[in-house]
This record gives sequence, C-alpha cells and structure tokens, in this order.
Amino acid sequence: MRSERLKGHLDLLLLSVLSRGPGHGYEVITRLRDRSAGAFELPEGTVYPALHRLEEAGLLASAWEIVSGRRRRIYRLTLAGEAALAEQSQQWNEFSGSVARVLGTRTPAAVLPWRSALPGVTA
Amino acid sequence: MSRRTPDTPADPVEDYLDRLFVTLSGSPRQVRHTLAEVEAHLRDAVAEGVAAGLTEPAAQAQAVARMGPVHGVTGRGPALTRPSMAMARRLALTAALIGGAGFLAIGAAGVFARLLLTVRGDAFLTAPWPAGSYTRADCARWLAGDPGTHSCVTAMLADHVGDFLLQATAAGLLGLIALAAYLALRQRWQDRATLTALPAGTAEALGTALAGLAAVVCLGQAVNTEMVQHGIGAGEPWSLGAAAAVAAVAFALAFRRALRRAAPG
Repeated sequence: MRSERLKGHLDLLLLSVLSRGPGHGYEVITRLRDRSAGAFELPEGTVYPALHRLEEAGLLASAWEIVSGRRRRIYRLTLAGEAALAEQSQQWNEFSGSVARVLGTRTPAAVLPWRSALPGVTA
Repeated sequence: MSRRTPDTPADPVEDYLDRLFVTLSGSPRQVRHTLAEVEAHLRDAVAEGVAAGLTEPAAQAQAVARMGPVHGVTGRGPALTRPSMAMARRLALTAALIGGAGFLAIGAAGVFARLLLTVRGDAFLTAPWPAGSYTRADCARWLAGDPGTHSCVTAMLADHVGDFLLQATAAGLLGLIALAAYLALRQRWQDRATLTALPAGTAEALGTALAGLAAVVCLGQAVNTEMVQHGIGAGEPWSLGAAAAVAAVAFALAFRRALRRAAPG
C-alpha cells in the first residue's frame, strides 16, 4: 500500500498496535508489518514523528529501558490513548462500512481484507 | 558526514545518523533521544538482516533504505533538510544581523552628530560646497527652507545637516527592523542544520571586520579633514567612525562569546 495513503491513518494504526502491549519503535514497525501481512510498508523512520506527536498529545507515554542489551524507548498507551483509539476505530468502521455500501457489489471484508488489523474489526 | 580515514570502511548507518544529527531540531535532550531511538532501530534492523543471511554491509544498506529519508524521521519537508536551504537560512540570519547592526550604527552616528552639532555648529558637521558648484536656484531652495537666514552658505549647511540627520534616523529605524527580524528568525530557525551551516561566530567575525574597516576609513577621513580643512566638515566622518568603532567592539565581544560557547567542554 502506498505510504501516502497510509499516513492519514497512521495514528490510528500506531494506537492499535500499542494497544496489544508496550513496544519500542522497531517493534511497532514489525508488528504493523506482520499484522498487515506485509501490506503496510512505509519508510520506517516516519513512525517516530508520529509516536512523538502522539506522546505530546498525551495518547502515549514512553520510558527508557534496557531491552536485549540495548537502551530503548518503550511506548505504551495511556488512558487517553485508549479512549482515542476507541473513538477513531468507531469512526473508521463507520467510514469503511459506508464506502463498502457505496461500492455495493463487494462485502467490506472483500474490499478491505487488511482491515482486521484494526481494533474492533472482525473479518 | 562522518570523518573517515582511508582504512575506515563506509558505514551507511553512521552516515545516516550524522545526517539526522545535523537535521534534527528541538532541545538537546530531544535530539539525543531521537538519535538513540533511531540508532537502536537501525542496529536491530541490521541484526535482523544479518540473521536472515545478509552480509553486514548489505544489512546496513537495507536498514537505512527501509528507514527512509532523514526528513521522514524529522517529520518536516525535504526542502527543510537540504543543506542549501539551511545555508540560505544561515546566510539570511547573517545578513540580517550585520545589516541591522550596520544601519543601527548609522542611526547612532546621527545621535553623535546631534551632540557635535550643539558643540561645534553646522560647519563642523558638513563642509559647504565650493563656490561655483551650485546655482542660484539651489541657493533659493536652501534659503526657502531656512527663512531665518539671508546667507546662502548658512542655509546650505543647515539643509545638508538636516539631510544627514534625517537619513541617519531612517537608517537607524531600518536597523531596528532588521534586528527585530533577525531575532524572530533566529527563534524560529532552531534546527541544527541551520545552526551549523556556518562555523560558530562567522557572522560576528564578519561584522567585526566590516565595522572595523568602516571605523578605520571614517576616522581616517575625519583626521584628514581636521588637518586639511581645519575641522570644517569633519563632524560627519567623526560621528560615523565613532559609531562604526562601537559596532566593531560589540561584534568583537559577541565573536569572543560565540567562540567560548562553541569550545568543547
């Protein structure tokens, strides 16, 4: 998927990935790639400004820890982040459902096979 | 870029971190943290590549390629990370500082000139034009501007003094505007690429040289006028020279401070 298209949804995807547990930047990218079955390929560096922005907004919190012998910044979802994730997930579900209904001939799952990567969405 | 000796192989990860370092903006802590994060990310990616069977250089190249351009990490447009853009910004800051200080010095020369005027009079500030170099129409214009006198030379001097003081005041105001712009832009352009585009103290050193040169030329002209014309018209170069000398000293002090700040430790 083109990274430009992905950027508009990056915050939601990062919140979703971190809702499964804390992680550092490389873990976040790896989880994103794995959960999208490789569909979400974006320049890995672009997650950092997004993570920092989400932290500034109070949706994430971070702490430095030594993991596997390397000092890493571990991000975790805050309560505000959980609320934002729930709200954005709902908005996305409504939007993607509406698009699927307009397209008509295909089911949402067929149109967006990767959407199961998003929280609260079942294929 | 990392400095490399002939026996040091190219390291794409180190080069990437160097480029990122000079591009990142923010507090020193933010810069250190982002660098540490990205370095850990790149080292993880290299380790993953090596574990997958790549050679170390190939894994490094792949890790850097997957990280994407530096401006992706900084979250700003690529134009802002081009060295030429940083250099343009630095040059604009330098021009605003030196130009602003220069114009402000001319404005200060106007203040010195007013002081000299009260002590030594119009003829000390500006020399009258030689007889025959002006017309009756010029005389009439000068006299119209100074109705209290019937002497063409006196009216001419008053006109020239007024012009000089007006121009000095305008230059002073322009200098204040340029310095205000400099301060605003310096506050806004805090990224390391801009801050390090020129060596520390470059603007201050250039300002010291230019203001010092202006002071020497103006003061030399003032001394020459004192000797040749017995002081008539020496006030203008004296005031300009004094203001330039003050500016040169201020720039020199700023230069010394810049060098101290840039010194390691």
